[in-house]
Amino acid sequence: MSLNFYRRVAFGLSPHEKPYKDPLNWATNQLDAIPDFLWPGTIPTEKELRKKYGEWVYGDREVLRKKFKNDKYAYRKAKDELRIKTGERYFELNEHAIRHFQTKYSKQPVFERFWLFWGNHFAISEKDFLAEFSTGPYQREIIRPNMVKTFEEMVQSVTTSWCMIHHLDNSESFGPNSKKGMEWRETINENHARELLELHTVSPNAGYTQEDVIQLAYIMTGWAHKWDRKNLETGDIWFDQEMHQKGDKIVLGIKYKNDGKRELAKVIHDLATHPICIKFVSTKLCRHFITDEPTEEMINPVIEAWNKSNGSLIEIHKAVIQQAYKYNEITHKFHPPEIWLMQLSRIFDLNIPLSFEKMNYSFKLKPNNRQRQLSWILREIGHSPYRAKQPNGWSDLEVDWVSPELLLRRFWFASVELPMLVKSENRSHDFILSCLKNNFEDHKNMASLIHQFRFGTSDKDLGRKYGVICNLPEILKV
Amino acid sequence: MNCTRRNFLIGGSTTLFLSGYFPKISFASMQKKNLIIISLRGGMDGLTAVPVIGDKRLKKLRKKLILEDVLNLNSDFGLHPKLEIFHKLWQKNQAAFVHATNIPYTGRSHFDGQNLMETGAHIPYKEKTGWLGRGLLASNIIGKGLAISLPMPLLLRGVPQNNNFFPSPDFVETKLIDQIYNEFKGEHNELIKSTLDTIRQRPLSMQIATDSDDRKKLALEAAKQLKDQSGPRVAVFDLDGFDTHAAQGGVDGAHADELEEVNKIVTILHENLGQAFDNTLILTLTEFGRTIKQNGGYGTEHGYGSAILMAGGLLKKSQVYTDWPGLKKKELFEGRDLNSTIDSRAVYNSAMSICFNQDPDFLRKEVFWGDHLPDLSQELFKI
Repeated sequence: MSLNFYRRVAFGLSPHEKPYKDPLNWATNQLDAIPDFLWPGTIPTEKELRKKYGEWVYGDREVLRKKFKNDKYAYRKAKDELRIKTGERYFELNEHAIRHFQTKYSKQPVFERFWLFWGNHFAISEKDFLAEFSTGPYQREIIRPNMVKTFEEMVQSVTTSWCMIHHLDNSESFGPNSKKGMEWRETINENHARELLELHTVSPNAGYTQEDVIQLAYIMTGWAHKWDRKNLETGDIWFDQEMHQKGDKIVLGIKYKNDGKRELAKVIHDLATHPICIKFVSTKLCRHFITDEPTEEMINPVIEAWNKSNGSLIEIHKAVIQQAYKYNEITHKFHPPEIWLMQLSRIFDLNIPLSFEKMNYSFKLKPNNRQRQLSWILREIGHSPYRAKQPNGWSDLEVDWVSPELLLRRFWFASVELPMLVKSENRSHDFILSCLKNNFEDHKNMASLIHQFRFGTSDKDLGRKYGVICNLPEILKV
Repeated sequence: MNCTRRNFLIGGSTTLFLSGYFPKISFASMQKKNLIIISLRGGMDGLTAVPVIGDKRLKKLRKKLILEDVLNLNSDFGLHPKLEIFHKLWQKNQAAFVHATNIPYTGRSHFDGQNLMETGAHIPYKEKTGWLGRGLLASNIIGKGLAISLPMPLLLRGVPQNNNFFPSPDFVETKLIDQIYNEFKGEHNELIKSTLDTIRQRPLSMQIATDSDDRKKLALEAAKQLKDQSGPRVAVFDLDGFDTHAAQGGVDGAHADELEEVNKIVTILHENLGQAFDNTLILTLTEFGRTIKQNGGYGTEHGYGSAILMAGGLLKKSQVYTDWPGLKKKELFEGRDLNSTIDSRAVYNSAMSICFNQDPDFLRKEVFWGDHLPDLSQELFKI
């Protein structure tokens, strides 16, 4: 088995790891239990961060805008102070540190790859202040615990999470015949219903109609944040019967009797176990780990495992890994910038993320450059994980990631920034050679390309070496 | 008050009688024509950019946001003082405005709205390509799109091989690429290899490091590229910050700062395109306008109708083209927003037909699913 398997399903081998005797076993054994978060710094809860979100929004919208209505400079200044006080500029940086610390040091890196996958399948795109306060904890507290349950349970949790409901506006969706809908002459907002069908479960392949979207939106009415004057839109999710559309609904030919709160779980059950949903999500999983255009032959065993286990994600994940193993030698997969960065960090033991002590935040001064570094790098290489532009998340296709500027950014990172992230004890040429040997069959050829720089250890020399190494086809792809 | 609905429309119905489109074969049409789109994210307030001075209601509703020193366009409309270049070009028939226009989206979400302004569709997130990308593809213009941003904007998606320019924060030794170029072997590496070719063929000016936040340098480079006969034919700029809920201000507020940015970009393009400016159209794009009435924070909320700012030598004449809906309460959209009486996609479709030498009806079908979008080429552009 080629060493690239460790990068195909994980992040490569760190200098402290050696290739395992049975790589397939090594990989599939990582999927039964949820690894703890290793980050020694603070890991705030979703609820705490939602409270901060509320303080920020309330402070800006209800206080500052009114107070400084005539003075844009004073308003900007006060707003900046509020950002600092509520951590609006900080929490996303901390989340990136938690995430990258995990992928760098986890003993179950394969599990972590699936974590990234599901966070992107149920993506929260850039909207309001979700990236600042909510997307990170959502991925930690909603996505992650469900990875040892069934797909259906995952969809249930995601669909009723504050983050997804806010992201897709379900709190603004009123059944037109509900009490509040009639009183306020409000109607449905179809966003969430559409994405539940299109992106999260059955996909357009199921051939649903606009009427199906509307009917599903009716079922979903009432699942909303609890609004009050102080928390505004950051209140907990509940089911508001007074927003809920009365009457029976029909989605994809199945009738759901008027049953209030219980309708949602029933329809999610049917969607999450729908054969087209199973095929759609299995295809996405294979696309992520095997190749951009997976064949039926690759996908079918995953579908079988899904059916046999009634959608157990543990079993599904294992089947995906088996397929990735099986096709490792004959397929290629391009990795998007964040995974590439995580792999470089693990393989070459780079100094990211920043140590947890240095990530501590006082809520008095704005985060410093060092604290912002990782997030800045992610943004500059074009892959700030919580800021996908659309609810379909980041693309998993090579064609979307290969543009002149995006490739140049990788050259820039590897040749200019990376040298400053090399630990002082790892600056020797031999260190690079040993890392290459640990991870690449073709390490001799790779080494020959940087042989001419072997005596240099300055940042500039390291930049030439890493600039070449990190952009070779065998590192951009597995 | 002489601003009543429809009295601006002179000959606006000619489209009904135009059964076919006959592109003129002339020297002008042999010249490369450039289409530049500047996205104004956050909701550009058409009434701040191009205030209707002929209607006293505006002053009443916006006591704290009133503009002084408005530049004069005609007896009904003025221009924000920060949009100087448009005023200058107006004198030469090289600036014009479409007013009371918007994409057909009446929700008030930035995200849905921005998605729709780029896809040109009716349902948010349903389409995964942009109208400009589809327009280029339908016109068989491949590899001629230039985005001034790091990700390829949705607007340009749908056509392959676009270039983008958003220089990295530091210099990249492109000879590194020479060193590894030959390592990209086999079919599965072809896409990367051809992209490396694009990078290697870039002019030196596109290889230098610069501050991506420096709009001036980016616009300068774009102008340089667009001027080149074999260079890009389409460029897309992205500006945000138009979402001014508070301290929007008049001449000097937060919205004015953003308009100043637009002014800067157009100024640089105008100065540096030289002769090519005559064969260029610059159009703005936004997701919605803003409420007529100021809010408690002396800002404005998300609204509906807005305006399109236009510049370039391909404009027919200086004009404020509008089917003015009026500002009386009952004339407003939902009693609060300037209405939209022109589907802005009709303007974009017509602009593409001019710049890509295509039949507008063909483009309408290929790009906008055959939606009813009247051809405005006669009214707005030189054909």
